[in-house]
Amino acid sequence: MTSSDSTYRQYAIEEYTIDYEPFYVPVKDEVELFLSAYAQKIPVLLKGPTGCGKTRFVEYMAFKLGRPLGAVTKANKNGEHGRALITVACHEDLTASDLVGRYLLEGDSTRWIDGPLTRAVKVGAVCYLDEIVEARKDTTVLIHPLTDHRRILPIEKLGQIVEARDGFLLVISYNPGYQSALKDLKHSTRQRFMAIEFNYPTRDLETNIIAHEAGVSDAVAADLAKLGEKVRHLKEHGLAEGVSTRLLIYAGRLIHEGIPARRACQVSVVWALTDDGDVQRSIEEVVTSIFE
Amino acid sequence: MSSSERAKILAKYEKLLTPYSTSLVAEFHRSASAIADLVSDQELSQWAEEGLDLARQSWRSWEAAGEYFRATPQMLPMLGLERYRRWARYGRELAELSSALAASYFRTSSKTVPAATFERLGDLVELGRLLYKGTWRSASLAVQFFDSSPQLFAEMSIDDVRVLVRFVDALCDRSYDLASHCLSIAPHVLKPLGDEDRSTFLQFAESLAATGWADARSYLEKGPALLAHVQQKQRVRFLELASELSRREGRQAFGFFSDAARALSTIDPDSHGLLLSLSEELVERSPIAAMEFLKTAATIVERIPLDTIADWHDEGSRLLDASIDGGEAYFRLESSRGEDMLESLSSRLDLSRVSDILRMYGKALTGCEVAVHSSEALAEKGIGWVETESPSTEGTAIFLPPWIEEYSDKERNFTVYKVYCTHQAGHLEFGTFEFEFETEGAIFTNRRNEFAEARRAAAPPAPAQAEATDTEAADILEADEQPTEHVPITDMERFFDILPDRKLASDLFAIAEDARIDLLIDREYAGIRRSYTDRQTIELAKRPSIDKLPLKQAFVENLVRVSLGGYDTMLWPEALHPIMHEAIGVIEMLRQPQANVEDAAEATLRLYELATGIPNIAPEIMEDWEEFDSDSLQSLPMSADSLGNSDIDMPQGEQMPYESPSPVDFRGDFKPETVQMLMKLRKQSQEEGPVSPISPEQLKQMLEKSVEISIDDMAEANLTQSSDLFLTNLIKELNQQAQDKDDKKPAPLKDGQPVTGDSTGDDERELPPEPKYFFYDEWDFRAGDYRPRWCRVVESAIADGAPQYFEQTLSKYSSLVHETQRQFELLRPEMFRKIKRLLDGDEIDFDAVTDYAVERRSGHTPTDKVYYRRNKVERDVAVTFLLDMSASTDEEIAKHEKRYQQDDFDDDPRRYFSWWMARRAQELLTPPKRIIDLEKESIVLLIKALETIGDRYGIYGFSGYGRDNVEFYVIKDLEEVLSDKVKGRIDKIAPVRSTRMGPAIRHAIYKLDQQDAKVRILFLVSDGRPQDHGYGRDRTEKEYAIHDTHMALLEAKRKGMVPFCLTVDRYGHDYLKQMCADIGYEVVPDIESLPSRITTLYRQLTT
Ligand SMILES: Nc1ncnc2c1ncn2[C@@H]1O[C@H](COP(=O)(O)OP(=O)(O)OP(=O)(O)O)[C@@H](O)[C@H]1O
Ligand SMILES: [Mg+2]
Repeated sequence: MTSSDSTYRQYAIEEYTIDYEPFYVPVKDEVELFLSAYAQKIPVLLKGPTGCGKTRFVEYMAFKLGRPLGAVTKANKNGEHGRALITVACHEDLTASDLVGRYLLEGDSTRWIDGPLTRAVKVGAVCYLDEIVEARKDTTVLIHPLTDHRRILPIEKLGQIVEARDGFLLVISYNPGYQSALKDLKHSTRQRFMAIEFNYPTRDLETNIIAHEAGVSDAVAADLAKLGEKVRHLKEHGLAEGVSTRLLIYAGRLIHEGIPARRACQVSVVWALTDDGDVQRSIEEVVTSIFE
Repeated sequence: MSSSERAKILAKYEKLLTPYSTSLVAEFHRSASAIADLVSDQELSQWAEEGLDLARQSWRSWEAAGEYFRATPQMLPMLGLERYRRWARYGRELAELSSALAASYFRTSSKTVPAATFERLGDLVELGRLLYKGTWRSASLAVQFFDSSPQLFAEMSIDDVRVLVRFVDALCDRSYDLASHCLSIAPHVLKPLGDEDRSTFLQFAESLAATGWADARSYLEKGPALLAHVQQKQRVRFLELASELSRREGRQAFGFFSDAARALSTIDPDSHGLLLSLSEELVERSPIAAMEFLKTAATIVERIPLDTIADWHDEGSRLLDASIDGGEAYFRLESSRGEDMLESLSSRLDLSRVSDILRMYGKALTGCEVAVHSSEALAEKGIGWVETESPSTEGTAIFLPPWIEEYSDKERNFTVYKVYCTHQAGHLEFGTFEFEFETEGAIFTNRRNEFAEARRAAAPPAPAQAEATDTEAADILEADEQPTEHVPITDMERFFDILPDRKLASDLFAIAEDARIDLLIDREYAGIRRSYTDRQTIELAKRPSIDKLPLKQAFVENLVRVSLGGYDTMLWPEALHPIMHEAIGVIEMLRQPQANVEDAAEATLRLYELATGIPNIAPEIMEDWEEFDSDSLQSLPMSADSLGNSDIDMPQGEQMPYESPSPVDFRGDFKPETVQMLMKLRKQSQEEGPVSPISPEQLKQMLEKSVEISIDDMAEANLTQSSDLFLTNLIKELNQQAQDKDDKKPAPLKDGQPVTGDSTGDDERELPPEPKYFFYDEWDFRAGDYRPRWCRVVESAIADGAPQYFEQTLSKYSSLVHETQRQFELLRPEMFRKIKRLLDGDEIDFDAVTDYAVERRSGHTPTDKVYYRRNKVERDVAVTFLLDMSASTDEEIAKHEKRYQQDDFDDDPRRYFSWWMARRAQELLTPPKRIIDLEKESIVLLIKALETIGDRYGIYGFSGYGRDNVEFYVIKDLEEVLSDKVKGRIDKIAPVRSTRMGPAIRHAIYKLDQQDAKVRILFLVSDGRPQDHGYGRDRTEKEYAIHDTHMALLEAKRKGMVPFCLTVDRYGHDYLKQMCADIGYEVVPDIESLPSRITTLYRQLTT
């Protein structure tokens, strides 16, 4: 259901598919692992620091898994299309009904509307629950029957049980870095997933990624990747989290726009990372050592 | 005049004088004949009569008469009769006071009068009379004065003498001995002073005598020498300042005088004038400030340029206007404003200000945990490094000079640090110390085995040190019976072993490796290139002239320059240019990015080969020193091995001993062999515990060979002793590091830089954790400013005690425990943050509304509760308890409390008696309880309660004595979990000494500040007012301590913490009002209720 308005397009959530191949550089064997998991219907947990490519990876995989049947809505000019990907960003007030569905008032009557999870289950989409630990504990329990051999979703309010369609895959992500022990994932939840661990790409790979995503020369990209590597050394040493590929790409983009390199790094790396004066200063010294 | 007449006169007086003393008669006779020709008969008899009068005057006055007679033959011709009479009259007048005075007057006159002139004689006598007070002691002082007057008047004017006498006279009020001593040394000590200085010097002495008489003697003895420190022209001004201080402030004057003079001694005399002018500007308002200014001037001029000293002064002067105490503290350098001002005026950059930044910078570059310390710290370790100002690394830390003052602004000085740090980090980042003998280079072919082979063939199997000149070394070897072949400890050592001239090899390796590192840095860090090249240019400018060096050294020097990029500064005999070309070519090879440390080693071999072919002959032998034109450098032989210049004829001559090139400052001390050894030891000690895996013998052998460690520099002991010392130091260092690893703490705040204390280490394995030192400012309310780094807090854990105490206390208070526990359970953190189903709230709950509609439609009665509200907050509390462990907590509670309500029993003695009986029985059963016991019990109850609700908490005690020793005891650290160890520590809580609350609170703040919690509470439990040695102007002053404590509590508040004071001091209200202005506090009047009260309060505080 594409809007006729040309300024923006809007999709029903389960109809959104990725119709071009996302740029993704495999860092290790994550692509093979994911494909195998999909084939074996094993839910996947993506672990890793922020901005290291988890979301991009899921998009890429959804595209790769291009589905043969089901709610194909459109294909790109090459006739390629991806598998439907339903992404839910979890937050602390996310309730079960937010995922499963709820009644809406409509005129004099009520109408049931499926939540994103239910839709994904019904159409057999990849459902990506981003930052799962942020969600309330009762919510996470909900996905338990979906993630074992039963692959069912009970919808209490309707008194129904929905069986997951074949292509359905649950993927959750989780950033182990900054969660307090309080917010750790429950073991009963955790142990229903296979875990793929993500980390920052190596300097060379990251150079490629930055060069591609920011449109800067290889030399600049290499320097940014070098900066990334150096700054990541400061993790747990004034920095809670290393600099993400995302931030390095931002810096690259600013450089691409003509902002001087040192300044670009200052605003997109140094200041974005920390408020601590000394730490800022020392990162800045690294920046001024690398960039002229 | 007839001789018979004269004989008659003489005979008459001889007869009259005889009863006094025969010697008197003899004196008379001798003098009379001496002056016979000068006087008439009448004058003679008058003279004799006067003498007789003198003798008659009192019991011992004949002595004066004797002196009178004796002096006459000299005095009469000197003065002439008229003046002679006056002279005699003065004497007779003195004799009326005391014949001793007169005697000494007459006796010394012959010398005094020429020195003092006759005109001043009256004044002189007057001064003598001034000193005489009619007592025996005063008389002897006056006599002393007359006795020394010839000397005195030889040196100084009557005016000066008058001041001196007044000074001595003033001292007499205190002590005659002192006065007499001062008078006796005066001529001698005053001699070196110039006339003008002397009078001012004496004026200051006079004012000192009035106020600080005890210092008078020191002043007189040491003053002139001290004064000599001050520029000649300025001495008078300086003394006047001192006098002013003495007049207005009294006692401290001499101390200031000597301190200030000493301070000036280190300052260029030409600037004394300026400093004194600035000081004089202050003296009106505060002579102390004026002197403090001079006293600290030495420190100040070291930190800031002289032309900014006026700015420094003006700021203090403004402060002085606002507050005398503030200004004085400023000039005393005991105020933060003073420190800040200095810092802003100074271009010097102290390492301590930037070490955090450099540490993180180094960590970012290398990816390893590198500490940054001052090079002094490395030298102090005694493990081979001796330079205190060169950058270096020992493999785990980067050492930098304590400060940089090369440029006039801090920013540029920082770049110096940055270059230093980058170079050292480069060694760590690019693997200098990972050298492996067996690893191939990436560029050069491996010739190491070839060299090793050659070495083995050349050297006898005995160790190379057999011919060591050091006899002691030989002794050791002999003692070793048969020297086993030394197995190299490290790969670096093994590498150097293959080259006979180790010193040359080590120098060449340093050049090659540093060149490689610098080139890599240049490639990797484009941003620092400019500062780096600047440094290199500066270094090049400092290099010694090449053509003054012997040939081999000139060769090495040229290589240093190549490594610094200074091709155009090279100089080399034309005929030998091909050799140099080849050497440059070798270094150029290292420019390739893949070059590794093994390549640097290979390059070393090739350079070594070239260098050994060059004789170290005097530069004068060579005539054709030539620069290198850039064309010839373009076409360098760039292949890895291109020998073939062996056909060059080397010049001949007498060889000089080879000396290493002068160091390149920014590259610093480079000791790869030692670093590798340390790294190896470290690794082994981490794996196998802190033991030394090398035997002393091995180490000794290494030490003998190594050119990196010079035993003479380290100690004056012999080789055995110093290698033992070295080994001890090494082990200490390794243990230290192992321990640091164990208790790694989060990065400290600037304020609380922890410093590990000195281990008074014996070799026991279970060493108690070393105390940590922290420094804190203290608030000086008079100055209205902080005294920077004023107090030293010593943090240590309380010794372990019996954990049973904890359980016993709990069972003793079991009902109270249950009660509080129940109350605390109510505080348990809310599971959910939204409270739903409310009749009224912030937002409508969509689900509830839907349910409402659905239910209504289906005919049910829906509930109206469709709102929800966000619950306040999750419970996220961190609390620090700070217990007063001062000696006063030892006090028994019974005494502390009012004995009893006397009037309660007044009317009924029986009731009193039964009360008394009960009490006695009680006392026998349980020993009297002290305040500290209740503090301990309260802590136990609190812990129990806190564990229930899961708040993070730390418990600390404090006491100490003096500002350098504020003891801070860890009972339970915030991060620690409740363990038997913690329980045991509670048992050991005991009264110690004083109560300096401020620094203890500040340290507690520092600890609490590392906790990331929504609510942070600082809970102070005390039994009285803050007090400590030096915590106030004098012992009775209480204000200062109260103000500092108040300020510390406010600091907590400013950090977003909740400070709270609980005291069991019933009279606490007096000072708590002030100490806890704007801060919560409570006085627990009934101390027995402390345990229950403390828990209740805590509950209230956190909800
Ligand atoms: N391996 C990769 N290949 C291609 N691009 C990458 C890769 N890794 C990171 N990126 C880039 O980094 C950006 C951030 O990645 P992404 O948004 O997937 O991070 P994330 O792991 O999902 O982070 P968060 O945990 O914060 O959601 C992407 O937009 C992409 O440009
Ligand atoms: Mg993401």
